[in-house]
Amino acid sequence: MIAQTLSGTFLQPTLAMAPDVPAGIGTGPKWVLLIPFLAALAACLNGVYAAMGNKTRLPAWTTVALLAVSFFATLAMAMGFDGNAYTVKAFDWIQVHGESASFIANFSFYVDTLTIYWMLFVTGLATLIALYASEYMNHDLGVSYCRFFAAFGLFVFSMACLVMGDNLVMLYLGWEGVGLCSYLLIGYFYKKPEAVAAAKKAFIVNRVGDLGLALGLYLAYVHFGTVEYSVLFSDEKLLAYVEAAKVGAFDQIPAMAQWIALLLMVGAFGKSAQFPLYVWLPDAMEGPTPVSALIHAATMVTAGVYLIARFYPVFLISEHALPIVAWIGTITAFLAATIGMAQFDIKRIMAYSTVSQLGYMFAGLGVLTPTGGAYHVLTHAFFKALLFLCCGAVMHGFAGQLDLRKLSGIRRVPGWGIVSLGMLVGCLNLAGVPFTAGYFSKDTILAEAFVTPGASMIGWILLLTAGMTAYYTFRVFFRVFVGPTHYEAGDDHHDHDDDHAHGEEHHHDAGEHGDHHADGFHPHAPGWAINTVLAVLTVASLAATGLYFVGGSKDLGYKTKHYADTMVSASTASYHSPYSAHAFHDDHHGDDDHSGDHADDAHKALAGVGPRGAIDEPLMLFGKDPHKVMYYVSGIVGAIGIALAWVFHYAGRKTAGECRMDGVARLFGPIPRWAENKWYVDELYDAIIRIPLRVASHLMHWFDKLVVDGLVNLAGMMPRVFGWFVRPSQSGVLQGYAAGMVGGVAILLVVIVLAVRLGGGS
Amino acid sequence: MLTAGVSEYGLPASVLAPYLFVSAAMFVIGLIGFLTRKNLIIMFLCTELMFQAAGLALIAFGRHHLGEDGQTFVIFVLCVAAAEAAMALALVVLLFRRRETLSAEAWKELNG
Amino acid sequence: MNPIWLILMVLVPIAGALLVAFGNARNAYRDALFASFASLVPALMALLEFDFTDSASFQGLWSVGWLEPLGLSLSIGVDSIALLLILLSVLLGPICVLASKTAITENRRLYYSWLLVLQAAMVGVFASRDLILFYICFEFTLLPMFVLIRMFGSTNRVAASTKFFLYTFTGSLVTLAGLVYVVYFAAQRNGEWSLDIGVLTTAAAFMSPGEQALVLGAMLAGFAVKVPLFPVHTWLPLAHTEAPTAGSVILAGVLLKLGTYGIYRFAIPMAPVGFVEYAPTIAVLAVIGIIYAGLICWIQDDIKKLVAYSSVSHLGFCVLGLTAVNATGLSGSVLYMLSHGFSTGGLFLMIGFMYERYHTRDMRRVGGLASKMPVWSFFMVFFAMASVGLPGLNGFPSELLCLISAFQADASWVAAGEPGAAGVTLGPWYAIFAGTGMVIAAMYLLIMVGRICFGPLTEPEGHHAHDVLPDDLNLREIITLVPLAAGCLVFGLFPGLLLDAIQEPVNQTVRLVESAQELALPRPGAGPETDAGVLMILDEAGAEGANP
Repeated sequence: MIAQTLSGTFLQPTLAMAPDVPAGIGTGPKWVLLIPFLAALAACLNGVYAAMGNKTRLPAWTTVALLAVSFFATLAMAMGFDGNAYTVKAFDWIQVHGESASFIANFSFYVDTLTIYWMLFVTGLATLIALYASEYMNHDLGVSYCRFFAAFGLFVFSMACLVMGDNLVMLYLGWEGVGLCSYLLIGYFYKKPEAVAAAKKAFIVNRVGDLGLALGLYLAYVHFGTVEYSVLFSDEKLLAYVEAAKVGAFDQIPAMAQWIALLLMVGAFGKSAQFPLYVWLPDAMEGPTPVSALIHAATMVTAGVYLIARFYPVFLISEHALPIVAWIGTITAFLAATIGMAQFDIKRIMAYSTVSQLGYMFAGLGVLTPTGGAYHVLTHAFFKALLFLCCGAVMHGFAGQLDLRKLSGIRRVPGWGIVSLGMLVGCLNLAGVPFTAGYFSKDTILAEAFVTPGASMIGWILLLTAGMTAYYTFRVFFRVFVGPTHYEAGDDHHDHDDDHAHGEEHHHDAGEHGDHHADGFHPHAPGWAINTVLAVLTVASLAATGLYFVGGSKDLGYKTKHYADTMVSASTASYHSPYSAHAFHDDHHGDDDHSGDHADDAHKALAGVGPRGAIDEPLMLFGKDPHKVMYYVSGIVGAIGIALAWVFHYAGRKTAGECRMDGVARLFGPIPRWAENKWYVDELYDAIIRIPLRVASHLMHWFDKLVVDGLVNLAGMMPRVFGWFVRPSQSGVLQGYAAGMVGGVAILLVVIVLAVRLGGGS
Repeated sequence: MLTAGVSEYGLPASVLAPYLFVSAAMFVIGLIGFLTRKNLIIMFLCTELMFQAAGLALIAFGRHHLGEDGQTFVIFVLCVAAAEAAMALALVVLLFRRRETLSAEAWKELNG
Repeated sequence: MNPIWLILMVLVPIAGALLVAFGNARNAYRDALFASFASLVPALMALLEFDFTDSASFQGLWSVGWLEPLGLSLSIGVDSIALLLILLSVLLGPICVLASKTAITENRRLYYSWLLVLQAAMVGVFASRDLILFYICFEFTLLPMFVLIRMFGSTNRVAASTKFFLYTFTGSLVTLAGLVYVVYFAAQRNGEWSLDIGVLTTAAAFMSPGEQALVLGAMLAGFAVKVPLFPVHTWLPLAHTEAPTAGSVILAGVLLKLGTYGIYRFAIPMAPVGFVEYAPTIAVLAVIGIIYAGLICWIQDDIKKLVAYSSVSHLGFCVLGLTAVNATGLSGSVLYMLSHGFSTGGLFLMIGFMYERYHTRDMRRVGGLASKMPVWSFFMVFFAMASVGLPGLNGFPSELLCLISAFQADASWVAAGEPGAAGVTLGPWYAIFAGTGMVIAAMYLLIMVGRICFGPLTEPEGHHAHDVLPDDLNLREIITLVPLAAGCLVFGLFPGLLLDAIQEPVNQTVRLVESAQELALPRPGAGPETDAGVLMILDEAGAEGANP
């Protein structure tokens, strides 16, 4: 499919529109709506199957077919794109027409190059992974199978809304929608308390981020009076701010406008699992592996990157937003890598590597290369999905075994060739071995980090992280796939049997589970669906390299270097940004005017230097083009990482469980254990957020009961207190009342007589 | 008050006064009886006495003013008293069946 | 619109109530069901005949003299907001009856007849255009609800019903005082007694700010208790927890909205200047309620109490929208009134269905029901998500608009004379703190779903299957839920259906507040023309509301 992608004419969109002219936003063809709504249809149909009690693989085929159509529709959308962004409206959604201010958020979609770029890999990968899941989930045929694919379809729909939505509210819809699907799918094995807890955690932590996003949305509306991209990104106020930001005059931009980016950023951190909101992603691995691959590696977690890329102008006008993004990304990349190095569960290692790579993407966005970020998103989507699916295949075949100390040399087990090859390709990419896609995309980010004034520290940390990444990636490969062949079946039967009240389960248990610990355990090799998908992804991961060399364009008024570059530059990601000229200073343009004033100013602004600390020399590293330098530097660093992994985890290893690293690790004292326990961040959160909040809740509950309600009850008791005084008068004795009456009448008579007398007297 | 506005056919004030004395006496007797006796039937008789005292006064005044109102009222009062007597005695019988006593003090559930 | 439909919507349930009360006890359920479905017919006719192009003016006006010298009359009429709330009340009728079939096994006649009377009373509240009629119906809703809780509630029902009745009734009496003062003021100003709400609204705007503040305080005494606003909310968790399922549904769906509707219909237009002045204070209470009640939800073990406290939290958003007094806020708030009942009502139904099977609401004793009751769990997750405010479901648009409105009513906007701000000063902090309510809502609702639906199956000791009901939901129960679920989805995806309908009345209210504001505190430079303009707008607003 990627081959088709490459050959498509859409690689070179005719970008007739100069980026500085506000887009005349037209309406696009209605069939574009098919892309999201086919996925929604898949979800609905699967719901119907569930209600009908379908027990076949029909849900999977329905989903795969509809998603494939959706992918081809995306392809058609890409080919038909003429360079002019357009919107397609499905229906009116939320509209309030006040006397003079209106709030309009329609259920409509916005298509530009960034949308196309994202949707291509989202729908493509979704189709492939649905195919993979059709086999992977087959032990669950029945309602659960339908449930899985319903949530899967709903996810693709939500993701499409997120990426294609033409306003912030649509983005928010998609944002929460993918969060919901993530919740449902992480909690797929709902009888397992860990899975339920992980699902809950994911949703709640994301909600914290969503709050930021929501507040950013409100602020954007209040400040710019609109949430629609087509209006917002050509808003004159915004353009003026961008101009001001170009010369570092942030004092001319109202604080309110600067806050928008800071708030949106929080949303991005939540969804893309950045520090300090990353804690949910590793736990999310409780979900079935296809879910981990699609949602928690390839697509959903890149939503944060998309958000920042889409709102790049808004981020540019905020003095502190991009530096924070860069630093948070860097910290996350480093921190997650340290944790990844100490984990033993291969799926968790991949999860931490995802967090770490997302950190790279954020750092890329932060150091003013949205292209680098977006390109890394694409390459990462392919190779990380591949890696996850390979791990999934292992897990599927070895009865849930994921511990790298209990698996070794499975490359030699019959039927595992494609998996091992796929794993190798994935690892090469992730480790950034020269001439792989991951290598080029990582380089783009690293190089930019080094040339951005004030960001060189970021560069160094990222470089170190790159070495660590190479190490832990190949640690997995050397331990699990090569070396002496040895394996144990999963003892907790991790993925298989937790579900479902079907009779099949017992059958399954009796048939297979019973002899897992016996020597006669036979891993069952992946079938055709899994192998096909892995093969396609392997090819795609390799082919993604090619995207670094094709698809450049000159139609934007400056030269773009490759496909991702073109697609990102033609969108709002560099739309009107001072960066548009700079981002692509490649070797040919390294020192020409394109990387001139604006870019430098922007970089200076990032560093907080301000316009006066002018740097006149072009962006260079050691007197060379930074990218070229980085090719060598990062290549060497990666090689060191791999070599270390080879020495410690492969060379001289006799069994699955023991290797040289065990001795080395002891030298570090308790540090590896701390890292394995994720630096106790979860515990820290418990201590500083959850427990105090819980205590506060209990206090409030008691306050509510005792004070608030107590006061009410006190007020309610007042009449009773008064009654207590007058109660004795009601004796219940008949004649007592009669006497009272007589007395009363007598007193009245006396009063009247006296009144008449006195009145008469005067 | 008693001398004012008497028509030529009406009862003169001098004749009216004894009726009123009798009426007042009856009322006070009834009242004292009601307040002092415990027997429910006696107490009921006392209320009847007070009723009739009021009726007597009404008739006397009616005659005094030469109006029909007083007599009309008394007829009403008699009817009501008759109905009430039936009701009240029935109640008394029911109450007696519950407690085997006619004492009013046996019933003080309505205390505060 | 023909007023007969409004009258029928009151009379049909009452006739049904009589039929049930004096009919055969065995047929009580069937008769009640018939009556509640029958009242859908006039509701549908009203909906069809209502002219939505002129939604701000009152339609279906009908008036009959009662005590003319005092200005008393029985007059009715609805604008789109009142109509939609009436439709909501009528729609909940059959749902409540259906949901009670197996839950109520004794004293059926009493139960169903009071249920129907309650429906009639609710319609009466929204339909009345006469202050006294409004007040009578407003108070009369208490009685059936009291009986429902008192006679058909669970263990602590006596305390719950007493507190419910006395608390809300006491508050309402103060409201009556405030309303009577408005009547008195209007009579002084106009020279004749009138209790027509339109006439009163026009006149009330001329009260001095001091008077308005007092009137506002009096009105809030009743309405805030009804909403319920922190700190006068404590009757609600108790009443909800003890009420029978249908009672909870109606309480959450409509009765709480009487408070916000009262604020919208009386407090804002009759004391506009006072309201604008005290809006920040009210908003602070609303925001405290959102967070405070949300956190309390988090630690509840009683699932019904959890949902009850969540109502307190949710209604905080509704009040926050009202206090912003701009088009966004009022629209969001009215939308909240209309849609909140679907999700929370749904949750109460779910809890009721579970309670019928397990006779406990304690999440420590029952949980992990997804494996035994998949359909139930599906709906539970669905309604919980709607309640969380997931976009695409009903809670979201209203929550979004309410929060935006708080942002919008920012001081800088007001100072800049930007449109859409009627002078209320809230600001981002309100939205930020209220927004944390969204996070808290996710916490407690997901924990609830996680405990009750997911995890290993837990059932109370000695539990045995219900002798009438199957393990999972039966068809009747699903039919009960489907309209609510559909409502959640439709109003989440097409909130425009409601927003368009309520736009005009909302804008008119904003206009009214703005002009009253100018009348009371003329801006520098506003000449006599402006005053004349203000008077015109006020008269217009009054005239549209007044009876012909």
